[in-house]
Amino acid sequence: MNGPKIYFTIPILGGIPITQTTVSSFVVMVLLCVAGILLGRNLQKRPSRRQALVEKGIAMLYDMVRDTMGEHNLYWTPYIGALFLSSLGGTLIGMTGILRSTTADLSTTATWAVMTSLLCWGCGIRANGFTGWLKGFADPVPVMLPMNIISEISQPISMAFRHFGNISGGGVLTSLLYSALATLSAMVLGAVGSNPVAAAGFLAAGLALLGWGFAAKKLGRKIVGALFAVTGALALTGLSGVPYLEVGIPGILSLYFDVFSGGVQALVFSLLTMVYIGNCCPPPEEAPQS
Amino acid sequence: MSGFESFVGVNPWTALFTFCNAIITFLVLKKFLFKPVKQMIDDRQAEIDAMYADAEAARRQARELEQQYQERLEGVKRESDAMLRQANARAQAREAELLAEARQQAAALRQRAEAQIAQEKKKAANELKAEIGGIAMQIASRVVEREVSEQDHRALIDAFIAHVGDAS
Repeated sequence: MNGPKIYFTIPILGGIPITQTTVSSFVVMVLLCVAGILLGRNLQKRPSRRQALVEKGIAMLYDMVRDTMGEHNLYWTPYIGALFLSSLGGTLIGMTGILRSTTADLSTTATWAVMTSLLCWGCGIRANGFTGWLKGFADPVPVMLPMNIISEISQPISMAFRHFGNISGGGVLTSLLYSALATLSAMVLGAVGSNPVAAAGFLAAGLALLGWGFAAKKLGRKIVGALFAVTGALALTGLSGVPYLEVGIPGILSLYFDVFSGGVQALVFSLLTMVYIGNCCPPPEEAPQS
Repeated sequence: MSGFESFVGVNPWTALFTFCNAIITFLVLKKFLFKPVKQMIDDRQAEIDAMYADAEAARRQARELEQQYQERLEGVKRESDAMLRQANARAQAREAELLAEARQQAAALRQRAEAQIAQEKKKAANELKAEIGGIAMQIASRVVEREVSEQDHRALIDAFIAHVGDAS
């Protein structure tokens, strides 16, 4: 599997490549902004059904931030929410088939992870002062200094690769499955198509099974019947190059890799961001006075 | 030019675009979605809280007022009871006073009447005595056919009348 395709390069500053990720990321941004503006418009004290739903979602985000980061960090919610929605949208946009998932590009996840780290450091500096923050690396004993530094550096890397790996891994698996299914359908069609009698038998058996399935209202028989009938029909007409087995099965896999895994990874990424930033922004009364 | 980037790699330009997009998304969502919705939720919460607080205050006030009225009512009742009792006592006292006065007056009246009666009796007796004396004298003079010297026999007559008066 390749990385994101480079559509074209703007010939300034040594060439700015416009890749699939760039386009997807832009589209996701526009979609989120438009959706946000539309959903945030026309708010009433007595909410409509749409507004109640929006409020429920926003309140859930705020509750999540409150539980994870504490009451004093509640103002982080818009950032966490934007990150979560960007990640989820960036993953789901890959399901369109036209655009590539933004999160399947390390550039995207690494940027977000580095943003999280920078915010973390900013919070640490704000809470303890620059020297206090630097001294924090030598806690609790100076021997820990290299380990603390490594942990600070590895944190964004692990975040970036976790998200990227999960989504792109799903993409790799899906493409592998597609090619496997194409090979399989070519093999089946080749085997069946070499013998017209077998092909006609497949078609007849498939149609019979399909009819039985409709009569008995059994979904399994209908599906198997349709499969057999299509196999027979394609073999009879000699269209052995049609990867007809690619229909259906990858959809189930996509449900897991795109919807479930995408949601989980978006949640994990924003949860980790919340935890890291929350650790760097202790409650005001616990913050050392410097 | 068309080509592919490496599968695992970071393109600084893509990273920059992603960063800008993230910032824009964040700002737009914050301004147009999170802030107003949160504001709305908080406003509504505040309104509900205020309503509950108002209701609670009204309830407390009503209870206070009720208590006040109760107390005032009890005060009034106590006062009226006291007034009634006082009036009763005063009336009784007045009654006793009037009764005593009446009794006294009656007693005085009776005493006076008795005294008068006694006086009248005495007077009547005296008059009677004098008359009887005169009659006796007349009778005696007629009997003796001579003037009885009143002075001579006065003592005798008086003794007789006294004897009669004692007997009557």
